[in-house]
Parts: sequence; structure tokens; C-alpha cells
Amino acid sequence: MSRILLEVEGLSTHFMTRNGVLKAVNDVSFTLHEGEIIGLVGESGSGKSVTGFSILGLVDPPGKIVAGSVRLQGRELIGMSEPDLRAVRGREISMVFQDPSTTLNPVLSIGTQMRLALEAHETLSRQAADARCIDVLNKVGIPDAARRLGYFPHQFSGGMRQRVAIAIALLNHPKLIICDEPTTALDVSIQAQILLQMKTLAQDFGTAMIWISHDLSTVSSVASQLLVMYAGRIIESGPVRDLLRVPDHPYTRGLLNSLPDHASPGQPLVQIPGQMPSLIGLGAECAFVSRCNQSDALCQTSPALRSKGARRVRCHHPVAGDWQ
Amino acid sequence: MLLAQAPIMTDRPLLRVSKASKQFAPALSFGDHIAGWLGQEVDQRIVHAVDGVSLDLHRGEVLGLVGESGCGKSTLGRMMAGIYPPSQGTVQLDGVPVMGAGKKPLKTTTRIQMVFQDPFASLDPRVRIGETIGEGPLVHGLVDPANVGAYVAQWLETVGLPAEAADRFPHQFSGGQRQRVAIARALAMQPDVLICDEPVASLDVSIQAQIINLFLTLKQTLNLTMLFISHDLGVIRHMTDRVAVMYLGRIVESGPTLQVYDHPQHPYTRALLDSIPRLVTEGDELVVFKAIEGELPSPLAPPAGCHFHLRCPFVQERCKTVVPDFSDHPSLPLSGRHVACYFPIS
Repeated sequence: MSRILLEVEGLSTHFMTRNGVLKAVNDVSFTLHEGEIIGLVGESGSGKSVTGFSILGLVDPPGKIVAGSVRLQGRELIGMSEPDLRAVRGREISMVFQDPSTTLNPVLSIGTQMRLALEAHETLSRQAADARCIDVLNKVGIPDAARRLGYFPHQFSGGMRQRVAIAIALLNHPKLIICDEPTTALDVSIQAQILLQMKTLAQDFGTAMIWISHDLSTVSSVASQLLVMYAGRIIESGPVRDLLRVPDHPYTRGLLNSLPDHASPGQPLVQIPGQMPSLIGLGAECAFVSRCNQSDALCQTSPALRSKGARRVRCHHPVAGDWQ
Repeated sequence: MLLAQAPIMTDRPLLRVSKASKQFAPALSFGDHIAGWLGQEVDQRIVHAVDGVSLDLHRGEVLGLVGESGCGKSTLGRMMAGIYPPSQGTVQLDGVPVMGAGKKPLKTTTRIQMVFQDPFASLDPRVRIGETIGEGPLVHGLVDPANVGAYVAQWLETVGLPAEAADRFPHQFSGGQRQRVAIARALAMQPDVLICDEPVASLDVSIQAQIINLFLTLKQTLNLTMLFISHDLGVIRHMTDRVAVMYLGRIVESGPTLQVYDHPQHPYTRALLDSIPRLVTEGDELVVFKAIEGELPSPLAPPAGCHFHLRCPFVQERCKTVVPDFSDHPSLPLSGRHVACYFPIS
């Protein structure tokens, strides 16, 4: 196994709202190796995006990282000064967001935006900077890159804009890219192109990725490890193949079974009743208890994360036995 | 199995779209107007959203309309719902146009109702949902003022909400519950046809399954006729009897859903089906998908001939100039399949 790149331990991010403390991320721990792609899945409000933002220190009030540690190659990022964090962002860890039409500046040409991203971290001649930009644009599959440097974001289609955003993320050869729903705003045919490209890029550059998505099938097409989040906590994790073929948490199982692919057409889908509880004032019980068909008296206490080999599950009644 | 499931078809479709097209022309700027008066050529950018589409919806069937964003599926849905008048062609319900004539035509029927994608935008935030649901039936005399409370309660229960919900405002509901309210509002008008534009796209997977199950139940208990618009091929496969695949304003293929999915004949349908990452529970590969080359051309300047020829692996000279005909009018019963391609996959 390659070396450890990122260690997240006991990360908790809370939002101090008028109605009380909202525990968006609650005691999240995981380890990411160099060049590894890890998938972070969950429904909206499960805390997956806030986890991504917390790693980069991009949490604004009323949000606050209240506990935990994030170590990049042994260096602690939580509590790091803003100038130091800036040197990390975009250079060692970069991010690709969901909607490329809001993340690119509409009044600057993409060449200017790319040069700004380069100049933030090093001093380069104009020619050298342009050469670097053209090189990454070619790598993400934008033809005629030299001419396109003068284009503005509105002159690109949605798929092409997302490629530009990915190119900017790759510019400084980061060790880690956090991708927050990068293909959700795109059409399926474009999504397929981007998925294949990202996978190749990750291999070529040896870049590790955290791929955040609500869509189990897209995540599973790129990631080797999967973390499933529910109500701010990781409730199950493990190698993608194992986890999806034999999910151990009732929530993961319910989620997989509720996909239309898993039922014959016209038949009722297996549904998870109810909805996710409010993250304000979560009680001591398991957060999934009200929707779970396995629950009993034991579930009134929050289960600890238990492990079995590479798998972890947070449940008193996992499907398979032998858990420690 | 499919024939056993299929509802009994009468010869005449309930809702018929005949060679309907819709263009959108952005308003000209002041400068362009002056240039026009002075006899100059003004370059007006016209969006060809829907291009000569013919489609039948039979009583009791659920028809799926699938395609990527910008292919015109929502515009076609809105023409069928009587929201947009077609630029050319007609939309008829039982032989009567769904919109009146004139410069600003209005919908002439309440028998077609619509459910929209975003239940956060489609409900008035300042109106109690009981009033939202009851207003239409009251105005159109489907219920008298004395009984409107009970009437609303009945529809709320039909969609799985408690009767007390009538006194609440939209913000007091979650996304899935709001979509139930939107469905109740449409059903309270006792429509013959329900047009659903991406009704589950904005919902989380576990909530999506709840709403899909609600539609399946309603379809059986109320014998609903539905047009189900979605970009999600999995949802369409699960929900519909028949499917029409759209590409850049035209229908490229239609037929019974399972037949189209199992044996797509149009190269675009096949490419679209292949491009969705699908979880496989057996074998070595966990997720299978293939990418389609290229991007959707702009509807401002659609290519000549077959709209798909720029991305098609089987393209020939003829495809680049002559539009493949989608047979004259798909008035055939459910078993009929249509493909707008010179070289369909056999």
C-alpha cells in the first residue's frame, strides 16, 4: 500500500443557529492514501459537502470546526493560520465544485483565471504560464487550447466549463482534489466523458481524490473506497465492491434497494419510510432508528463504529456477523 | 407480460400532438428594431426547441419522455399541457385543440394538469396548502364552497398526507411532502391527463422511491393517463408503459418501454442507455458505462439532416442532408415502434 496522504480524525463541524447547534459533521474519521480515490456518499443534509469544506478550512460562521484533526502528510491543517492555509489551497489540495457556471468568473477570460491560479503560488513568465495552462487544458480534453485561453466562460458549454474548472484544479499538480458533485449538473452523456477522464487523470498524475456525490453508481465508477454518511456521521465504509455487494448497514441496504434498477418495472420500490431527522438536537439514539426495520431497545443508544478487516459499520445489528 | 400489463387501447388517442414545433425568438433590442425599420437585415437568434413532433397519448397509459437537458422535452410537455401554444402544428385533446386561437391564446380545458420539478418554486409560500389545493376546484365548480374542506382532505389523504396538513404553509413541509402537495393540487382538478415534468429529480434517493411508489399506486387506483418527463432512464424504465426518446427537438425513437430498453434501434438511444453508470451485482466489473463522443449541438443552429449525425458512429452521406422520417403519424397501438434513422440497429 502506498503512503498515507490525509488523515481525518474525529472531525466535527457544527453550525450555531438561532434554533440550536446543528451538528453537520459529527466525529468523522478516515484515511486516504496517495493516489487513492475515495467516494463520500449520502443524501442532501448528510454532511458530505461540509466534510469536504472542513478539510480545506472553508467553513464560515455560524459554522465552526469544533473538534478533530486533519493531517496532510503529517501536517495539521486545523488551526493553521489563514496565509498558511492559502498556500495549501489550490496547490496541495484543490477543489472542483458542482456548478461550473458559478465557480468561474464571468468577466475574466479563462486564460486570465488560470494564470491567477498559477501566480498565487509561484512566479512564472507569461510564456511559461501559458504553456502550463495549454498543457492542462489539453489533458482535460479541450481541443484548440491555445486559442481557447482568450475565451470567456459563457463561450463554453456546461461540460466544457466543468473541464476548465477541473483544469484549474490540476494546474499546480495538487496531491489531493476534493470533487463536490462535479458531474451532477451535467447531462449523462457528458457525465460519462468526465468520469472516464477524471479516472485517467488521477492515474496519470497520481492525484488522490475525495469524490462527493449523492449518486452511488457514479461514485462507484471512480472510487475504490466508499464512505456512506447519514445525519453527519459515517455509518458505513469499506472497499466499494465489498460494500455494495454486501451492505451491512440497514440504511445502505435500503438505499441500494430503493434504486429503480433493483426492482422489476411497475412493481413498488422498496422504500425507506420517513425522512432524515433534523440535525439540531440529535438525541442519544441511533440517528436512523425511526426509519429502520431492525431497531430494538439497544438502538436507543448511539452505536459505536465497529470494524471487520477493511470494513466499518455504525450499527447494533449489522447484516453479517463477526463484528468487533 | 407486457401485453397483459398494457391498458386496453381505443383507436382514438386521448391526447394527440401533430407535427408540433416550437421556436423561441428572444425580443429584439431597440437598436435591432431601428435597423429593421431602416430595412437592414437583422440577425435574430431563434431557438428551435421542438421540431415537428407527432405523438399520441392513449387513455390509461403512462408515456415516458426522455432526453438530455435542452432536447425540448419540457417545452413539448408544456405544449401538451396547454401552457405554450405550438408555433406550428396542433395539440388536441379528444379532437379539440387544448389552446384557443388568437394572439395570446389561453388553455381551453382543465382536463390536463401538470406537476413540476421543483416543489419549492411551484407552491405559493404565503398561501396555506388547503387553499392552494382547493382554489382551482372552487373556481371551476368541481366542489361547492361548503364542502371544499372535506374535498381537500380527501385529496391530501390520497397522496399520503394527513388532513390537518391543509392549515400549514409550504415551508412547513419537506421536499417530498411538498411534491405530494403539488400532486394533490393537480389531482384535485380531476384531470384526464397528468403531465409530470421531472417530478422526482429534485428529491433524494430514499424520498424518490416514496414518490415513485405513490405514482404507481395512483396510476392503478385512479386509472391515470400520464406523460412522465425525465432525464433519469432508470425512473422512466420503472414507471412507464411506452417511451419516446428526444434529441435536439425531435423524437428519435418510441415504443414499448422494455422493448426500447432491451433492443434500442436508434444509435442515440443505445448510446444514451450505455452512458449511464449502472451498478452490476455480478461479474468482475462493478459499474458499466460508455461515453458518447462529442456534445449536444446548439438548438440555435441545429445541424442539417439527422440531428444526431455529428455524434453518430454509423453516419453516412444521406444522414447529413435529409431528415430521416419518423413514419407519418404514430397512431398505432402500444405495440408500435418508431425509429427516425436510416440505419437502425437491427
